[in-house]
Parts: sequence; C-alpha cells; structure tokens
Amino acid sequence: MSAPKVAVLFGFGINCDRETAAVFDLVGGKSERIHVNNFVQGNRVLEDFDILAVPGGFSFGDHLGSGRLMGNRMRFALREQLHAFVAAGKPIIGICNGFQVLVKTGLLPGPNASNPLPDFVQRASLTLNDSGRYEDRWVTLEFDSESPCIWTKGLQRIDCPVRHGEGKFVMPSTTDFDSLAANHQLAVRYVDPNTPVGQGATDEPLPFPISPNGSMRNIAGVCDSTGLVFGLMPHPEAVYAKWLHPHHTRGSAPGPTSSEALGEWEGEGLQMFRNAVEYVLSKR
Amino acid sequence: MTITRVEVTPKQGAGMRDVRGDVVRRQLKADHGIDVTEVRSITGFLIKSSVPSSDISARVDDLFSDPIIEDAVTDTLFLTSPHHFPTVPDAAITVGFKPGVTDNPGSAAYDGFRTLFPQPEPLEDASVSTYQTYIFYGLPDGTTAEWLASTLHNNLIQRAVVSDIGACTQSQWPAIDYPEKPPQTFTPPQAMDLEISDEALIDMSESGLLALNLEEMQTIQGHYRDAAVQSSRAAVGIVGNAPTDVELECLAQTWSEHCKHKIFASKIHHIDSETGEDSIIDSIFKTHIMKPTHDMQKEVDWLLSVFHDNSGVIAWDENWSVCMKAETHNSPSALDPYGGAMTGIVGVNRDILGTGLGARPIANTDVFCFGPPNWEGDLPDNLFHPSRVLRGVHAGVRVGGNESGIPTVNGAIVFDDRYIGKPLVYCGTVGIMPRLLPDGRESHIKTPTAGDIVYMVGGRVGYDGIHGATFSSLELTEESPSSAVQIGDPITQKKMLDMVLEARDAGLITCITDNGAGGLSSSIGEMAEYTNGCEIDLAKVPLKQPGLSAWEILVSESQERMTIAVKPSDCSAFEAMADLHEVEATPVATFTSSGMFHVKYNDDTVAYLPIEFLHDGVPQLQLESEWHTPQPALFNPSTIVLDEDENHSPLLLKMLARPNIASKESWVRQYDHEVIAQTAVKPFVGIERDGPGDAGVIAPIHGDPHGLVISCGIAPRYSDLDAGAMAAASIDEAVRNAVCAGVDVDKMAGLDNFCWPDSIESAKTPDGKFKLAQLVRANRELERVCRAYRLPCISGKDSMKNDYGSGENKISIPPTLLYSVFGDQPDVRFTATSDFKGAGERVYLVGVSKEELGASELAFMLKESGHSEGIGGQVPLLPNPEQNITTYRALSTAIHAGLVQTAHDCSEGGLAVAAAEMCIGGRVGAELDIDGTGHSSVWSRLWGESLGRFIIGVQPEHEADFVEWMSGHPLTFLGTVTDSQELIISDGYDALVNLEVPAMVDAWQNALDMTGGVA
Repeated sequence: MSAPKVAVLFGFGINCDRETAAVFDLVGGKSERIHVNNFVQGNRVLEDFDILAVPGGFSFGDHLGSGRLMGNRMRFALREQLHAFVAAGKPIIGICNGFQVLVKTGLLPGPNASNPLPDFVQRASLTLNDSGRYEDRWVTLEFDSESPCIWTKGLQRIDCPVRHGEGKFVMPSTTDFDSLAANHQLAVRYVDPNTPVGQGATDEPLPFPISPNGSMRNIAGVCDSTGLVFGLMPHPEAVYAKWLHPHHTRGSAPGPTSSEALGEWEGEGLQMFRNAVEYVLSKR
Repeated sequence: MTITRVEVTPKQGAGMRDVRGDVVRRQLKADHGIDVTEVRSITGFLIKSSVPSSDISARVDDLFSDPIIEDAVTDTLFLTSPHHFPTVPDAAITVGFKPGVTDNPGSAAYDGFRTLFPQPEPLEDASVSTYQTYIFYGLPDGTTAEWLASTLHNNLIQRAVVSDIGACTQSQWPAIDYPEKPPQTFTPPQAMDLEISDEALIDMSESGLLALNLEEMQTIQGHYRDAAVQSSRAAVGIVGNAPTDVELECLAQTWSEHCKHKIFASKIHHIDSETGEDSIIDSIFKTHIMKPTHDMQKEVDWLLSVFHDNSGVIAWDENWSVCMKAETHNSPSALDPYGGAMTGIVGVNRDILGTGLGARPIANTDVFCFGPPNWEGDLPDNLFHPSRVLRGVHAGVRVGGNESGIPTVNGAIVFDDRYIGKPLVYCGTVGIMPRLLPDGRESHIKTPTAGDIVYMVGGRVGYDGIHGATFSSLELTEESPSSAVQIGDPITQKKMLDMVLEARDAGLITCITDNGAGGLSSSIGEMAEYTNGCEIDLAKVPLKQPGLSAWEILVSESQERMTIAVKPSDCSAFEAMADLHEVEATPVATFTSSGMFHVKYNDDTVAYLPIEFLHDGVPQLQLESEWHTPQPALFNPSTIVLDEDENHSPLLLKMLARPNIASKESWVRQYDHEVIAQTAVKPFVGIERDGPGDAGVIAPIHGDPHGLVISCGIAPRYSDLDAGAMAAASIDEAVRNAVCAGVDVDKMAGLDNFCWPDSIESAKTPDGKFKLAQLVRANRELERVCRAYRLPCISGKDSMKNDYGSGENKISIPPTLLYSVFGDQPDVRFTATSDFKGAGERVYLVGVSKEELGASELAFMLKESGHSEGIGGQVPLLPNPEQNITTYRALSTAIHAGLVQTAHDCSEGGLAVAAAEMCIGGRVGAELDIDGTGHSSVWSRLWGESLGRFIIGVQPEHEADFVEWMSGHPLTFLGTVTDSQELIISDGYDALVNLEVPAMVDAWQNALDMTGGVA
C-alpha cells in the first residue's frame, strides 16, 4: 500500500515546515513541503494529498493578530479546495501558528455536528498570552479519551514545549465551550503534572506557568465535530525523539520503550502523526 | 488617494485582558517602581489608498480587527467613544513611526489589504502606517504624561503625541497623522575636486562622514593624478582627474575600518616596557589568526573554507557541512536598541545564507554586554539607561530570531559600568548545507563566470542605512545620524530565505553574498573579484522612495537584501521562483572580466574604479603599541572579616544575585530555542528546567542523533589586569563549556569576535598605544592557546571604536573578546548537563585551583561594597594549555562513553557558584570538601576562577571506571550529592558554606527577573 501523501504548507513566515514534514515521514507518511502559492496559483492541487498540515511559525509576522493574514489567504483563495478536502474526510492538523490559522479561517472549531462541513465563519480566537510574553517552555498536556479526534487516539498525557505569544483560546460565551465540551472537541488541555493521569483536565483556569497563556478552560487544542480537523498550540513534533525532552540527560524522558522509527528513543509526540497516517491507511 | 483611519481595541469582559496595556503597566512597575491602576491600548491604522472609507469600514472585521476579541471604529478616534472609554484618563499617548522608518505591521496590513481589495499592481504611493495609543488611569502624582511618553518611544525613529490630564479633561485626544515622507531630490553625480590642501582633504573626509585618514585621502588623490587612469576614464566618459561622489563614497565604504579591518591589518611597532621587547608585527590578523589556522588546515580534512567567505565552513559528516559566523551591531544598538539588535541578528543570518552557494541558518547565539540594569548614577547625554538598552536589544533579537524560525541555543549577558558608553551586541548564526548540491557542485565553492547576471533580491533600497559602515568606524557622539538606524523586517527576509534555498537546490545560483555594510558597493564589489569585473546600472535598482542619488543607492545598507548571480540561461526560472515566493528580484548588474568596477546610472558612467585599487589600494596603517602592566589596587580577602556562624554563606547568596551570575531565564525563555525540533541540550536544564546550560547541543538531521555543540566564552574584566589573560580565559571557557556537552575536541572550530576601544593614539585617544598593546597581547595569547588546543579560528570580526564621547567624559569599553566554539558531538544521547542528577552521585573537581583571585567576580563585588580597595592581584592564567586539552579529551570521551551525565565548568564565582548552580538545577543538596583542590588559600579554592576546571557528578556504579579513565589527569574527590536540600561546603574541618537550596534558587532567579510577573 502506498504511503499516505502529506502536504506540509510553507511560505510567508511558516517555519516549522521541515520538522513537521520529517515526523510524518518517520511514521510512514510521504510528505512534501508545498508553498502556499502553489495551491493558490493552481500549480498543485490539494486533492492530490491525503493529509494537510499547517505548521508553526510567524506567518506574515503575526501582524494584525496571529494567523490572521495567512488565514485570510486561505479563506479567500483556497476556500473550495479546503471545503472539498474536509468533505472527502481527509485529516488536517494545525500546530501553533497553524492552529491560529485554522481558527481564523473558521475551520476550527467549525460549525456544529448537524452540519459539519466548513462554513469559514470564525467562532473562536487565539489571543495574546495573559503574561504578555512570548515564551518557550515545557507544559504537561492531557487528552480527552472520548474525543472523536483521530489525531489524539490513545494519547493520555504528554510533555510538550509551547512556543508562542498568542495562545490564549477564547470564545464569546460559556455556552460555546459547553457545546464543544459535550462533543468532546476540547481534545487537549494544559494540566498540573502533579495530578493523577486522566484526572488533570479542569475548567478552572490554572495558574501560570501550568497554563502558559491563561487559555479559557485551559484549552491547548480543539478538533472540529468530525474529529478530522485538529489544532493545538503546543508542538508535538518537537518531541518526536526522547533526546529532545529536557530530562533525557537525567535518564527520565518519557515515551514508548520501542518503535520501528527510533528504537527506544521515540518521543511522546510522534504517535499523533502516526495516528493520522494509520487513519488514512485504515480508510483505504 | 485618501487616508482612512481605523482603530482597534481589545473587548472588555469576563476573562478578557488588554495585554498590551498590562505590559506597559508591569514595566513601569519593574523599571521605575511606578504603580498605575490601569493601562489600556488602541492599535491604529492609517490607510492611504484609493479605496473609499465606506468600503474599508465594511470589511474592517475581515482584516484590521478580530471580531471575537476586538472592537473597531473607522474614521474616528476610539477615545471619543464613551461606551468604550467611559472614564476620563490621566494621560493618553500615541506613538507612531517617523516618515521612512520601517513599519512591519503596516507592511503586513498593506499586504492583507491587497488580499481584500485586489489591485492590479501595488500602487506606488499606497500604504498603511500603524500606531499605538496608551491610555493611563490612576497615575501617581509626579508622573507626567511627557515623561511617560519619553519612556514609550525613541525620538530617533518615532513620534509621540501626548494628551495630559488637562487635555484629556477637555477631550483633546492625541491624533497622529500619516507620516508622509519628505521628497528626496535626485542630485546628479558630482566631481569631487581633490586638488586641495591636506587640511581640506581631512575636512572633506570628516564633514562627509567618510572616515578616511589623510594618507588614504592622499592615496585616492594620487590615483586620479595617474595619466593612464585619466585616459581610461575619458574613454568611458567620466570625469578624468577627480573622483565622482559615487566613487569617493564607494571607496570610503570599501576602505572603512568596518570592511577592511585596517587595525588588524596594520604594521605595528610594539614595545614591551617590562621585557624590553621592541619588534614589528606585520598584521596581527595574518600573523596570529590566519597563519595558525592555515597551518591546521594542512593537517585535517574537515576545514573546507576559512576566512574568505561570509562564514567559515567545516565538513560535519559525509553529507553535510556546517558553518558559523558572529557579528556585532554595537553602534546601531546604542542609538535604537530594538532596531539595531534586530538588524544585527537578521544580518548575520544573511551571512550564513550568503556562504558558499547558500547555507540554511539553523541556530542563533547572542551575547550582550550592558551597563548594570540597576544603574543609579548619571548618564551621558544621548545614552539610554542600561535597563532600557537591555529591554530593547532583547526584544529586537527575540523578534528577529523567533520570526525567522531560527532557535537561539546559546548566549550570555555580561554587565560592567563601562558598557553604558557602548553596549556590545554580538549575534551569531550556525548554518548547514548539503556538501554536494543536486547538480554535483560542492556547496561551499562559489562558481561565478563573466556574463552572469547579478540580481538584487529581497527588500528595496531606501534612505535608511546610509553610512552604517563608516559610522560604526567612528565614535558615538550626540550628533550621530539617525539614517544609520534601521529596523529589520524578518518576514521579508524569511520569504527570501525560503526562495534562495529552493533556487540553490535547483542549481540556479552561481554566486551569492549578502548586502550588509556598504550595501551594493560592497556586495557586488566583493563578488566582482571572482571574475575581475562588473557593470552595474543603478537606475535599475528598485527604491523604497524616488529621488535617491546614485551614491546613496550604491552604499545604502537597507536590509533584507541578497546579491545573487545567475547564468543568463537560468534567469527566467530564477525570476519565476521569485514570483512564486512573492520576493522581488531585479537584475542590476553583469559580471565582466574587464578589471573594472563599472557603475552606470542609465547610460552615464558614474564610477569607474579598477577592482584591484578598490580592494587592495588602501595603504597599510603604521601604528605604535606599548605595553606596561596595569597596577590597580589589590584585592586582598584576608582582611575581610566574616561572621563566624554564617561564614561564606551570605557571600554566596550575594554572588548568586550578581547580574553577571544570576539566572537570565526570564529573558532567555522569550527566545524560541526549540524550533526545527533539534535542540537536545537547551539553555536551561535540570529537573525544573531552570538550571544553567553550559552549551547548546543540536541534532539537526531529523531522526539522527548526530550532534553539534555550540558554546561561547567571554571574560572582559580580566582585561583590567591583562588583555592577554582575558583572551586565553575566553577561549578556555568556550572550550570547557563545549566539553561539558561532550564535544569531540578533535573536531571543533572557533570564532574570534574582538570589540575594542579606539586603539590608535591621537588627541582623542592619548592612551592608544596601551590599548593597541592590549590587542597585541590578546592576539598572541589567542594564537598560543588555539595552537595548543588545535582549535582553528575559521571566521571572526572586529569592532574597533567602542567609545563614547571624549576627554574626561570619555567612556571606553573594557577590551572584549567573545570566543565562540562549534564542534562535532558524536551522539546527543550521550551528553552531560550541569544539574546534579540525584542523591548518591559522587562529585569530583577536574583541574586545580590556584591563587588567582585578581579581577574575579568576588573581587569586583567586595570592591563595590567597600570591603576591598581594589580588584588587583593574579589574574587566572593558562600556563600549559597542551596539558589542558588532554584532560578535556579524557573528560569528553568519558561523557561519550556514558560514564558521566553531570558536568559544569567553573567560571565566574568559581567552585562555590558552580556547585550552587548544580544543586539548583537538580533541586538537591550536596556535601563537599574543597581540601586538596590546590595549594592555594581557601578564598582561592572557594571563589577563585582558575581556568581548566569542571565539577563532575558520576553515578556510584561508574565511579571506579571514571577514576581510572581520568588517571593521569588532575582529579579531586569533593563529596556526595544528598537529598537534604542543603549545600554544605567545608575545607577539611572548617565549615565554609551551609545554605538551603530554596534560598539559593530565590537569590539566583529573582535578581534579573524584570518581567513584572503576570498579574
């Protein structure tokens, strides 16, 4: 069976494209870095790919709000292609700036389950961290085990770096959150590492730096109602190997004990990308 | 064209914050102790276009404001809305850019504007300008709106409009207008008559900011007296017996100290008043830096390219080579800390992109030297307070590095009063490239041929950045020009970088270099040496604004530009690639073999200089150097009375809080140090990820643990005693740091970055001979240590005019060498970090503590507190570096073998501070005995900064193997890591230190945290 084809967007200040492409390749995908304008100008078509990844970075310098200008380019120039991609049931991930882009195009959290296809209406936002600072620090994440998200299947709790200045997830009202929570679309949240695994998620705002940004309900990432489109602020690709975990020199970097890709050195972040590749293969 | 105003402000409500306002409020508290009840913010856009305001207003939520979190108004000021701003504020201040200053949010907004309102071509005149308004509530008495405005903007590049409480009460709000650029008038090239007196020649150089001395002016004069020159000039229709202004400016840039390193190339008459030495040194650079490296190049196969390119290149493995370069951006950072530092980092990124046929930047380093952030003394005119310089420089490097997607993996911040006069801002970048390109060419070799078309790629040329190279070759004065200041545009550069690397891999590039100092004059001029000639048409160069004169176009240092040569047959593919990436690429020149640097403006020749004269015509400086050893008052700790109960403990807490030692985590965390997913040892390490890292380690090929170590060393205060010792200490520190991370000591390379005060004796610099002798000694030590360590210096830079003012008020920096090391790390899974790993770990000192407390951090602290008369005494020396490197090799290979996971070098604050940091990183205690660590006083063994030392932690099961591994090397057992949360240090039966780890954490972490928290 041929490897699932992954389009990894780049250009205009996206800057995590190489590592995002690499982690898909490590788990059996066949990635290609594609400049946004190649899709816009029709040199390439999104339809030819099985998975779309919008990596982290500073698209257009994040001026006028993170992800805004890239979001607009996609919303106006790739509207039909994106709609068709989602309608075809193909997975999309946005990481950090990519998550911000997907939120600002309206793909996340997206319309409700009764009519799940993209309508490109922005319903949420990611805004400046309460601290007012861009920071690179490691956080602990916990996943909703009942989420329909195909990307987070089987994941419970991982350590992961965040690297952003605008990661505070906000929506206009509590009912917006309640309906996402009811659908298990709040796929991943910041948690206190001292809580028992599986019991970390809480709606009460956690203090800095457990929650690095003051995100409402400690949200780190959300999926759409189909579970195919997923975005998160932390960088799972940056912990694809244990040697990227800050504790690896202490002999205590967590992760699987063996893997085809990296032997005993696979990091906790790689499974997310394997999930998507395996999902595509399972649908063939 | 009409101008439409749009204003945006954060929505108020549950869970929502005005974060930009909060940041201003916290900084007023942190920097000035001023409590303000609330600060709110408005972001403004002034859109100059042909689109009617009503159309813009209808789309405002699609672009300018985010409807979930922000409200917007069009064609009015938000402050007039009682709904949004019901209470009368105490002050409202609007800050916008001056005309012509780079406005990155404005450029991005205009790009987004064109997405919404498609226009056939970017209209020449249309653009967006941005501003910020801050609204203050609850200002304490005595805090005036004018003063607040002065803290919020830099009047060199920004404008402020202020409404004080009186104006606010009367609803007179600060409205800023669109910054129209004043028209520039094109001045046709002028002939510059050089048949004038010597005094007039000097005057011409000074008033024209040419920074050329009399002999250089006379050399130029002589060139135009040559009959052969005159007739060849007549043949191309340019004035025969005099330079044009274009030529004179071009020569001034090319011959500037900044570009030609004239002091390092000079012939020096050196006298040592103590040894009686009286000798001639024909170029410090060739003698002490280039020759040793070339000698080493004969013995190894991995030194691919040294000195001649934008950075030095080494082979890393069979498939990849790596390169590194560090630069300084001191003068611009003094005038505009934010913009100056940002152009520093994005500028050195371009050096990497311009190496060989184009390398990809993969890691940044930054090292800053500032005045003390808590400085309470006077400040000379026109200089910023050190805390403001720190904030601005930090923000510039943060934005430049983060937005470019390059991790900052290593650095340092050093404080000394004298850096108030000139901050030092060192920015370094590591690059990687495939050794062979897909078309089979070796990537480190440029392959231009005559006939290749030369493109200017990236940004446009503007009035900004004229005279940067010559300006940095002069001392800073109150009249320093604002045109020397620029703000970087990382996104324009990132687009260019993406495009250039694609073009490289497609085989489209034959030659590439960056546009830095000297602009096109330098970049094309240098590349033209390969083919021995070029012909440039300045009229083709795209401009930010019309009206620039020919010489201004040639020498402007406007940022984000590369100069790239392409074969004529590849031009259409190259241009198509540029279009796809939305990068401007314009053919502006052709390589020739004419021997001439031939510059035209349309059909007129405006400069016609022989390549040889341009590059090799500058006369060698003849300088005088005289050494005598400085004799500052001695540091004598034996007179210091310690409280018997507490002994050295309070000193250790104070030392941990010294700015030179304290944690810089709150600053460093704001740099992305993990993008590219390769950073295996991060700037902060340990159980809580907040202990000091000694060196950065990256594994840049995804899936492969093969690593690269990046480290640095800097010890400027040793120059107070001996600049030679300063240089040796800097190199040794950089190497020790790399060893802690497990560098292969047989495959590492170094970069020497010298920052010196003016060293040419003159009325302005009466002690020039001594300062030059300091440079001589530093370079002699550099050669001695580097030869012993077999450490080639593959790239370097010098900045030789780091002074402020003149006469009694003159401030000269301490002579400073930053030494950076990058080297091979065989496997990042086997490295070491400074944090103790847990109770039971056995602790050793590698190396010997000598009686070397001169210029130590302890000496400076006790002098400042009045406990000691001076800092004098024996400075740390490196008498036998050949011995040191064998010890380092043994230690590093022990790390590779998995015997050691804990290693930390002893530098500022000596063994005591190093041990404290290791406890902090591991959040564990230790019980250590320093008896037997050297035949020196207890003060020296505890606090001394003797070189060549490390503290090592080894697991009990590896202890015997480790001790055997290190046999023959100086190794002393110190004690054991405990789970007591106490650091106990004794000297035999004498108790020296007994401190709780949490107290040390507080002292070390809080001193430099100027973030103001998150409240």
